[in-house]
Amino acid sequence: MIEISNLVKRYGDKRAVNGISFTVNDDEILGFLGPNGAGKTTTMNIITGYISSTSGTVKVNGHDILEEPELAKKEIGYLPENPPLYYDMTVREYLNYICDLKGVAKERRKNQLDRIVSMVKINDVYNRLIGNLSKGYKQRVGIAQALVGNPSILILDEPTVGLDPNQIIEIRKLIKSLSKSHSIIISSHILSEIQEIADRVVIINKGKVAAIDTINDLSKRLSGQTKLLMAFNGPVKDVANAVRQIPGVSSAVPRLSDNRVGELEIGIVTDDSYKVRTALFFMMAQKGWPVLELRSLDPSLEEVFLNITAGKHGGKK
Amino acid sequence: MLAIFKREFLSYFRSPVGYVAIAIFSFLSGFIFYSQYSAGSVNIGSEVISLRSFFVIIVPIITMGLFAEDKKRGTDILYYTTPVSLFSVVVGKVLASVALYFVMFINVIIHIIVTLASGGVFGVGAFGTIIVFFFMAFMFIAMGQFASAITDSQIVSAIVAFILILITQIISIIGDYLGKAATSLVGMINPGSEAASSFGEGVRSFISWLDPFAKTQDFRLGVFSVSALFFLLSVGILFLYMTYRVLDKKRWSQA
Repeated sequence: MIEISNLVKRYGDKRAVNGISFTVNDDEILGFLGPNGAGKTTTMNIITGYISSTSGTVKVNGHDILEEPELAKKEIGYLPENPPLYYDMTVREYLNYICDLKGVAKERRKNQLDRIVSMVKINDVYNRLIGNLSKGYKQRVGIAQALVGNPSILILDEPTVGLDPNQIIEIRKLIKSLSKSHSIIISSHILSEIQEIADRVVIINKGKVAAIDTINDLSKRLSGQTKLLMAFNGPVKDVANAVRQIPGVSSAVPRLSDNRVGELEIGIVTDDSYKVRTALFFMMAQKGWPVLELRSLDPSLEEVFLNITAGKHGGKK
Repeated sequence: MLAIFKREFLSYFRSPVGYVAIAIFSFLSGFIFYSQYSAGSVNIGSEVISLRSFFVIIVPIITMGLFAEDKKRGTDILYYTTPVSLFSVVVGKVLASVALYFVMFINVIIHIIVTLASGGVFGVGAFGTIIVFFFMAFMFIAMGQFASAITDSQIVSAIVAFILILITQIISIIGDYLGKAATSLVGMINPGSEAASSFGEGVRSFISWLDPFAKTQDFRLGVFSVSALFFLLSVGILFLYMTYRVLDKKRWSQA
């Protein structure tokens, strides 16, 4: 668990980080989002002990990063945006060197490295020079070094940047599998990636926390209500009128339609959309209007991000 | 510390740097020894003293990458985000460079063996010059490491190290010049005063006091001075501390 409280980092007159507070729970993936220059990397660097904050505290599993740096750092595995790799070493030499730096005992080293190497799938390149590896493998070696020492927390800064789509999917799967036994903070510019793997997101803007929540709840807060899109075969006006009669429905606005398929955008005011969807199904079936599609119209993380960072919405939950 | 030492020492042999430094040292020591040997008068002490003149070339080569390369590649982040202490990083790296000097010095050991095998003499004076050689190597490497810690450019690091070492080599000349300048200055302010020459002499003798070569010149005669070795060691440790401060300051930087 990481507890970050009122973190401030000042560079001259500018506050790169301005009073950030949030908590990362055990075994959760926390997406860390923000526009360029928002203070993401600065915050990550403070959490890992790379730089010190001007004020505020970071506690890693109860250890303050400034007061008990060695204990706190043992709990953290960090993959910076540019993996800290020595191109003149083989993967084996490099990971053994990281074991030395992290104080992994000789007798535990072989088992730990064997497990990490097979987990991140670098067995094939274990004895090759890092400088000769592809970008994807270099990134994997970077993740492997973060895993050395068996830290309970992983901090990954843009782990998929510069990778091809196949490599991105593989790294994403790997991160997802690591979340079973690690707390993970992941920053990424690929919002779909965060949407897919993160349990919660922190959006920061101009050095401050703009929002912390699950993606679903952020979407709901942004739109103010849950919205559904229903595609059907039937008279649009009649269907809209019938839908408006269902309890919990606040609006039913027709969208583009042709002779065969009509579309309605349905606003729901109740928290229990299950009841509304069930009622919709039976009503449409009773009237003989086949439902072709029924899906949620909540804003994507991209829309949430753009709205919050543009200052239209926000505020901590 | 051992991990840092091992990595840095082996990295000299994963790149041309270690081989270039050894080649230069081997050529220079070989040339000096051959000149003496062919003249029929081998003096290991004077060979080692001559080799000290080349610290100004070899030390910047072997220290320029110590921290500058880490900063450029972003691998310095490991020193801050792993449980290793910055102090052990600084000491581990400087010891790796000193160890490379030991490897280079194998040349001189061979020359000693050849000298002894040829019926030559390896006296206590020569032994003294070797001790001074390694204390000086430590001091200059600490200076070079400091130069490497203040920049992420190896070229800039090498130039700064070259200038720092050059200053120590010509410090008595600098002392003479500044002493005369101080005498003239005080003479201009207070014409005819005897204080001018005594002030200038004070400046000259203070700066000359810093000359590491003058401090250790009696070692070649077999006269060992613990205070001279302590001076070299202290200056080296001062530069190690300054390197540590430069690295630690980065963490706290507000600029």
